[in-house]
Amino acid sequence: MSDRIVFEDVSKFYGEVLGVNRISLSIPPGITTLVGPNGSGKTTLMNLMTGLVQPSSGRISVLGLDPGDATGFFRNVGYCTQFDSFPRGIVGWQFVLDSLMLHGMNKADAYKLTMEALDRAQLGDAAGRQIAGYSKGMRQKIRLAQAIAHHPRVLVLDEPLNGLDPVARAESLALFEELGREGMHLLISSHILDEVDRISDRVVLITGGYLIAEGNIHQVRQEVRDKPMQVLIRCDHPELLASKMFAINHCVEARLHADGRGVFLRTADIDQFYSLLNGIAVEGLVKIESVAPADDDANAIYQYLIGSDGSAS
Amino acid sequence: MMNAKAEAFKDDLAQQPWSLYLTQTRRLTVIELRRNLVSWRASWIYFLAFVPTLIIFIHLLFDSHPQSTMSDDSNVLAGIVQLYYIRLGIFFGCLGIFSRLIRGEMIERSLHFYLLAPVRREILLLSKFIAGSVSALLLFVTAIVADFVLMYAAYGPAGRAYILSATGLAQLEAYVAIAVLACLGYGAVFLLLSMMFRNPTPAAMLVLGWEAINPVMPSLLQKLSVASYLRHMMPVSIAGEGIFALLTVETEPVSGWVAALGLLMLTAVVLIYSCYRIRKLEIRYTTE
Amino acid sequence: MSVYKHDYRAYTGEVTPLWTRVNVLARYAFSEAWSSKITVTLFTLSLAPIIVFLILIYVANNPIARALITRGNPQAFAIDAKFFLKVIEMQSWCALVVTAWIAPRLISFDLSDNALPILLSHPISRVGYISGKFIALFSSLSAITWFPCLLLFAYQGYSSAEHWTAANLPIAFGLLVGSLIWIAFLSLLGLALSSWVKWRVVATGVIFAAVFVPAGVGGIVTAIMRTKWGFLLNLPFIMSLLWQRLLGAPEFMRSGQSIPTTAIVIMLGLACLLCIAMLNARIRAREVVRG
Ligand SMILES: Nc1ncnc2c1ncn2[C@@H]1O[C@H](COP(=O)(O)OP(=O)(O)OP(=O)(O)O)[C@@H](O)[C@H]1O
Ligand SMILES: [Mg+2]
Repeated sequence: MSDRIVFEDVSKFYGEVLGVNRISLSIPPGITTLVGPNGSGKTTLMNLMTGLVQPSSGRISVLGLDPGDATGFFRNVGYCTQFDSFPRGIVGWQFVLDSLMLHGMNKADAYKLTMEALDRAQLGDAAGRQIAGYSKGMRQKIRLAQAIAHHPRVLVLDEPLNGLDPVARAESLALFEELGREGMHLLISSHILDEVDRISDRVVLITGGYLIAEGNIHQVRQEVRDKPMQVLIRCDHPELLASKMFAINHCVEARLHADGRGVFLRTADIDQFYSLLNGIAVEGLVKIESVAPADDDANAIYQYLIGSDGSAS
Repeated sequence: MMNAKAEAFKDDLAQQPWSLYLTQTRRLTVIELRRNLVSWRASWIYFLAFVPTLIIFIHLLFDSHPQSTMSDDSNVLAGIVQLYYIRLGIFFGCLGIFSRLIRGEMIERSLHFYLLAPVRREILLLSKFIAGSVSALLLFVTAIVADFVLMYAAYGPAGRAYILSATGLAQLEAYVAIAVLACLGYGAVFLLLSMMFRNPTPAAMLVLGWEAINPVMPSLLQKLSVASYLRHMMPVSIAGEGIFALLTVETEPVSGWVAALGLLMLTAVVLIYSCYRIRKLEIRYTTE
Repeated sequence: MSVYKHDYRAYTGEVTPLWTRVNVLARYAFSEAWSSKITVTLFTLSLAPIIVFLILIYVANNPIARALITRGNPQAFAIDAKFFLKVIEMQSWCALVVTAWIAPRLISFDLSDNALPILLSHPISRVGYISGKFIALFSSLSAITWFPCLLLFAYQGYSSAEHWTAANLPIAFGLLVGSLIWIAFLSLLGLALSSWVKWRVVATGVIFAAVFVPAGVGGIVTAIMRTKWGFLLNLPFIMSLLWQRLLGAPEFMRSGQSIPTTAIVIMLGLACLLCIAMLNARIRAREVVRG
């Protein structure tokens, strides 16, 4: 049995709409995060992996298993979906127990695993209540509990931190980290890289259905940082600002805005750039009105994904 | 070559974890039954099944029963089975139960939990069908038996003697057989309709219309109707009145066995096709 | 930020009166109902019988065509109360089908998408919400019931002898009132049931079932108890009785079997009250889950 999740040139079209396009990936054990803005194809990729939708072309294999053989496949895979809905009229623990019973376990084992999963997901007393009455965070937790209950080898989590408060976030991240250390395959999707990069071994950046970067988190960050990036700063003395920036930062290009009240600066080190800009703003010589990334190509997306705000690095 | 394939197929069959499948079927059925029968939302189907029983019970308590009306009541009972249960009670009951199984889960956006369980999709579909049939049968067969018993119990010893007599038992047997076949037949049809259409009700209404005009169709077309098979199994034929005169046009009588076999075949074919469809099913709740 | 820079102001301008807001809802409901091809198809089909009736009226008033078809049996083709009873019955069935299709589209979508809290957080009351939907449904149904019926009546009046219209004015009145009662009831029933079952798919079935199943139950009651009162549960039947009396057509039930108008009116009133109670219970901005 292979120990990788492999996508070979996978595409999915929903009629005319592009879901994902020509994705090729090979994911080793550990924690992998899938990062991309809304509608970039994260959920599609995960649904493809688990057979909820069929690829329009290409092949997918999860540890050499095929979702068509549900019995073997879903023993090894747990999927916490983004769908925020549940079977009707069911109590939290019963929901987890039902799903375990379908594995063919005996009742005692299933019960034990249920309790363990509920405990791990930190659901607390809510486990005894009707799911229909849960808060958003509780629903997220019960879904997580259901996905990890049967001790899968591959865990697919679609935006598992959505709707959780900061404490629950930290607890969930700790849980993921622990599971990853135990040798599980984790695939986690998120909108915000900063949130998950601490625990992930690898990141996959995806946007508009296209894979744009993948690999070790530091490599990706560095790659992005090394790319010159263009920023538009609107202020009252653009020339002054530009000359100051050129003096101290690795700016490679400056261009005045047509209306004379702003400047485009291209820099190779965006993090340093931002902290210098903060310094200039504090000095008060130049009155800065707004700062915005000005690339409309992939750089802007990198910018968004990496979420550089000067605090990173 | 052919033989080798057959051998391989046999091996394949033998290697399937049948006992696991059985366990899974049982558990899925239990989950479904719990939701079909033991919840407030299921009360409507109890209503559909037991309204006639309730009325007959009130009749038993409050009306006098001169011996002469017993054959009248036999006719009334036949009418209840043929015109109420088959056309309304079991029809709408099965429409509700069976279209809920797959389409209902899609509407509630909870089908993916089943597809993500380690259960083959065919097993899932068959279990759901079994659960639906069991709930429908449990209710409607009980109701019909209760109707029958209450109807004749009112006549004291004579009624009791009729219930236990050969004719009485044969009549009851036929009614039960009709209910079973109706549940299975309608069940399979509605399960398929609900997988094919986003809103199966208009299609079901067409089926209802088709069943109603079917008796005046050429005999070949009559083979395509659930009610026409059932009509041939009615132990007491009722005279048509008004619009229902249409329902009693007799064409080439079919023996009970043939009718039963025909319906079971219909059920099997529909189920096999549904299995094929569920293998291809994709979860796309957005299009609901 | 300095306090003097707080220049945010709440909106204090003109607002439209309440009824126009109800109109907005009605307009949206209307476009929602008509956005489906099936609605258009059903609507067209519902008008098809009108064409047939129109041709019949033409034939009845044209001496040559009449002579050709009736072959000396002058009674066969009278355009009278009985004829218009057929018209209104036919159109009422069509109205039921259209309701079963449209009503769930108006309410169930809001419920299953949880849009009700959003809608009701606007300055619009629950009554306003229902009225908006009701207006949309009611006017759609009007277009296939009393409106074409009255047109048929007018056409008959125009193409027959002068005194016909004057002598038969009660028929026009009956057509109007009978249709209004039926479609008002249907709209209420459709809205109530769709609000109760939440899912459109189910709602369509339930609306049909709510008309047919009680009719079946009524039939059982009638047969077993050997009484005529079971017919009260048979909506299409009691409506036919009501129309027949409104139009002044001959009784079609034997005198002992017939049901008094008061009983029919009370029955319809009770059914309406039930529908209103259902709407009152369901059209709320929240849902409490027990347990
Ligand atoms: N059932 C569907 N029918 C049509 N288009 C779909 C369907 N599901 C997804 N899409 C489209 O596929 C693309 C990718 O969607 P997907 O749900 O995978 O995005 P995502 O990255 O998960 O977004 P989010 O962060 O908002 O969850 C989008 O353009 C979306 O509109
Ligand atoms: Mg997503």
